Amino acid sequence: MGFAQILANGVVLGTLYACIAIGFSLVWGVLNVINMLHGSFIVLGGYLTYFAWAYTGISPVLILPVVAVLLFGLGYALQYLFINKVVSAPVLTTLTLTFGLDMILYNLMTVFFTATPRRVSMDFGRLEFWGVAMPVDRLIGMGLALLLTALLFVVLRTSRIGRAIVAVRMDREAAALMGIKVNHIYAVTFGIAALMAGAAGSVFAMVFPVTTNLSGVFLGKAFVICVIGGLGGVSGALAGGLALGIIESFAGVLVGPQNAITIGFVLMLVLLIVRPQGLVGVKGYE
Amino acid sequence: MTPTQRNTAIAAALAALTLGSAAAAEEVLKIGAPLALTGGLADEGHKQELVWKMWTDKVNAAGGIDVGGTKMKVEIVEYDYQTDGKRAGQLAEKLINDDEVDVLMAPFGSGHTKIVAAVAERYQIPLVACVASSTSVYDQGFKYLFGTLAPNSGMTESMVAEFKAKMPDLGTVAIYGRDDVFPKSMATATSESAKAAGLDVVYDELYPVGAIDHSAALSTIKSLAPDWIYMTGYTQDLILGRKQMQDLGIEAPIITMVTGPAYKEFTEGLGELADGVTSSTWWHHATGYTDVAGAWSSTDAFYQDFLEASGGEDPDYVHGSCAAALDVVADAASRAGTIEPVAMRDALAATDMETFYGPIKFGENGMNQGREMPIIQVQGGEIKILYPENIANAEMTFLE
Repeated sequence: MGFAQILANGVVLGTLYACIAIGFSLVWGVLNVINMLHGSFIVLGGYLTYFAWAYTGISPVLILPVVAVLLFGLGYALQYLFINKVVSAPVLTTLTLTFGLDMILYNLMTVFFTATPRRVSMDFGRLEFWGVAMPVDRLIGMGLALLLTALLFVVLRTSRIGRAIVAVRMDREAAALMGIKVNHIYAVTFGIAALMAGAAGSVFAMVFPVTTNLSGVFLGKAFVICVIGGLGGVSGALAGGLALGIIESFAGVLVGPQNAITIGFVLMLVLLIVRPQGLVGVKGYE
Repeated sequence: MTPTQRNTAIAAALAALTLGSAAAAEEVLKIGAPLALTGGLADEGHKQELVWKMWTDKVNAAGGIDVGGTKMKVEIVEYDYQTDGKRAGQLAEKLINDDEVDVLMAPFGSGHTKIVAAVAERYQIPLVACVASSTSVYDQGFKYLFGTLAPNSGMTESMVAEFKAKMPDLGTVAIYGRDDVFPKSMATATSESAKAAGLDVVYDELYPVGAIDHSAALSTIKSLAPDWIYMTGYTQDLILGRKQMQDLGIEAPIITMVTGPAYKEFTEGLGELADGVTSSTWWHHATGYTDVAGAWSSTDAFYQDFLEASGGEDPDYVHGSCAAALDVVADAASRAGTIEPVAMRDALAATDMETFYGPIKFGENGMNQGREMPIIQVQGGEIKILYPENIANAEMTFLE
């Protein structure tokens, strides 16, 4: 089978992986919070997209911004009301809090949406060029993922709020002294992370069947990707996602699919030993 | 009231309560059920809960079951074990010791059934499993375990034989299974059955639990161009797998997904893509058994009641098997004339009945024997039965 097809599979998968990890990386890098809610945010985004599509027939691409805004509100509120209270506590405290919140959200979704796998069953067909077959929905997903990533990059680089987020990430005390409302910035950051997760969920509802069972899988992937790519920036999630996608794709063909995930974890371990800041991570955020 | 007097009063009140419940217990057959109502298997747990409620409502409304000349009501005592195997075992112990149930029902799946079976055996309480089909669960010499599903190997042999008969030049098969108790055992059994029947197994791999992409494996399968693709997994895996086959332009005359089409979620999640996919299943509501024993006198009677209870959803084999499992318990209690566990166990072992779900007769190891499991195919969005011939209602169609 062609090298090009394996590579293409890996790149498309890798971009979707980046989409999973980006919000997780942001919260971890800026707030030093390991957000256990992240997987459930993605699943929630997926379900909201599915139900909106199933009841109105509106294209998921148009539903995506609405879902993203809703998730921003949810993320902002959760951070402002709960997580900010303990955000400067050791990482285990915030991990426990988000873990508890995740159990509530996860089980609420199971109660209201049931765990039945749902999929936006629109078939966009596929493109074939040079013997490489590429599904259009994944290409759309990839496009949206790249667009969102670029958007976040620009926001962090150029906007006032983005510079404030970066400032808080660099030095919380100094940022507070400069008049930045740290709690507000934390809530905005968490909101943006939830927004990215919700958008990823919308994209995924077109590509994968969504079920609450996937929340742990998404969270695990996000974790591995952040460790591989490195925290502290948009580029880390992108590099980590692509690396993991391409490695899993080649490993799946060369050593069998049951070993592909193991290879990803081995890579994570090796990186932790030889390059703890990740492939492109900024030193000091490992 | 002095403290001593008060304690005496409380003790007396408690004793009265205990006596009261003991007196009531004689009239009620208590069935314990650890269920996965939250967590990964919540969907399946709710299916069991639904049909058990349907069954008890129906049977109790008719006065209960006849045990040794008295009419006995049936009560299900259930706990949510949150899809955590260890907790299922603990709750089974609680059901036996605190709730003093007479019979236990196993939770969903071979893995968790195995855990609960060990507890039931230790306390010598009969356990009826309605969703465990891996022979490894029944091979442990347990005397109190009975299962209404039939062994996996029976399904794969008849499927290979049937497909060879329908497609004489069938030569190669690619097998791709989820690395998990049931899907793995189905993949392994099919691989063995296919080799035994002279087919060339060109691809035989497993994928890990939690895989969210199959493009690597499917790209390899595409390059091998097999006549038959056989994939096992749970509904979300199979929806994704079938979609990615389409995405990558993979075609084969026969695509089998176990147990995909047995679930309505599969056809709903795939739409037209589900068409032509074959599967084997233990039961489907299109199988028309009539004049049978148990709470429902025919498959259709069960189907109609189910539609009402579920608000129009179709039942799948989990619903069928689990509702029939209670028919088996009631039948055993009636024949034993008592709900004493050892007598119930012996009566269960001697079960030989026809239900709306099909015949149930337990073999030496406690598994349901002698069932010809249906091969089904999605045709025009509907489930058609291809095999066995006495209940078949369509001819097999090929995908290319």
